[in-house]
Amino acid sequence: MTAVEASRILRRMTRHLSFAALGALLVLGAGCRDATRVAEAPGVSSPAGVIPQRTKEQKAALGRQHKTAWDLYQALKAEAKGGQTLAASMMPDWSGVYSRPADKGFTFDPDLPAGVLTTAKLTSEYQAKLEKRVADVKRGIEWDPISTCAPPGHPRWLTEPFLREFVPTSKQTWLINEMVNDVRRVYTDGRDHVPAEDRYPLYNGDSIGFWDGGRLVVHTNQLQGGIYQRSNPDYTDQVETVEIWQREGDTITADVWVYDPPVLAEPWYVKQAYGKLDPKQDLRIRYWNCAENQNNAVHQTQDGTTQFNGFTFDPTAVKK
Amino acid sequence: MRRRLVQAAVMLGMVAAISGRGLAHHSAAMFDEKKTITVEGEVKEFQFTNPHSWLLVDVKDKDGKVTTWGFEAEGPSTLARAGIRPSDFKAGTRLKITGNPMKDGRPAAIWVSAVRADGKAFNPRAGFVVR
Repeated sequence: MTAVEASRILRRMTRHLSFAALGALLVLGAGCRDATRVAEAPGVSSPAGVIPQRTKEQKAALGRQHKTAWDLYQALKAEAKGGQTLAASMMPDWSGVYSRPADKGFTFDPDLPAGVLTTAKLTSEYQAKLEKRVADVKRGIEWDPISTCAPPGHPRWLTEPFLREFVPTSKQTWLINEMVNDVRRVYTDGRDHVPAEDRYPLYNGDSIGFWDGGRLVVHTNQLQGGIYQRSNPDYTDQVETVEIWQREGDTITADVWVYDPPVLAEPWYVKQAYGKLDPKQDLRIRYWNCAENQNNAVHQTQDGTTQFNGFTFDPTAVKK
Repeated sequence: MRRRLVQAAVMLGMVAAISGRGLAHHSAAMFDEKKTITVEGEVKEFQFTNPHSWLLVDVKDKDGKVTTWGFEAEGPSTLARAGIRPSDFKAGTRLKITGNPMKDGRPAAIWVSAVRADGKAFNPRAGFVVR
């Protein structure tokens, strides 16, 4: 083979490879036409998001501008130009073990001012229920539905004070709460929610989302009723949420909008934050068997409060 | 040194902020959080379990009668965050322990603090502090 022939073959191969690469891109593009944009740039961090930064007041106002959680989610998706499905190499680094700060207590809104019952604007029926709940606690009467070892369920899931991990992958993200091995799965592969006729109440509902740079936008429906936390309001099985998760320094935060027409006179906006725990503590999430110690078993008494089922450290000391 | 003092003060403030809020998982309505009791005794067993741990302490009265007291605290990971390990309270360990007692008089309490015979102090409620 002469040098001229070799050069001609090489040019032909390059042209074929270029056509093949172009073809592959067209196929990929066709596959993604109805889904979200795919961001791919190996070795670099997440691309910049395009949803505008907003103040707390603007976020609360944004919630009020939309009648349903789905409407808000669609508006955010439009702002994000359809959102992105990030390639594995572009996932944000949310590694580490996190927890909700103790000074925020167990209230759903970490910014709840002292002496204020709730920052939610409740309907009169659920305002009365909350006032009764708090009055009962002052009389020593309190029952928490998770005392039976049931999971907290979302949106209460956001408030529990235990260890957490957040694991973003290109097709789904796992939001993990150590308590009762509780994992929320957020699907970001372009799928829709389960059809309306096949929905039934779930503890953590059905979550779909998209990426806007390093921010994960999530819509959750198909939830079941519960309480936001002890001495906090109820929510019903009509509750739906929109969340925007992101990392801010050593904190993972979530802007949360809750819609629940029977309970909330208007959407409730709160910001949740989970601080990264010092790796020197070597904390590891273990399997959580809620029923492993019978001394923790409780029941609801006739007057509605909580009592142990009858531990037996020393039966002779029990008052009759 | 000054930075450490500030950090310690912040932590104490945070612990104070969460005191009196009872226990995660079940309400603390069966305990009287306005009262505290302190007993001295010997560890019978440390049940390092979820969702709550129990430190069982044998307490001897002046007539020599032994009553087993149970002190309830958070589960393993929260105690670990408070620097409390299973090996800190082996059976036979002498200690003075303080808690909020049961309203009905049974020998159990929410574990608030403890000091071992060797002088080491423990605060199980420090486990909810993010650090």
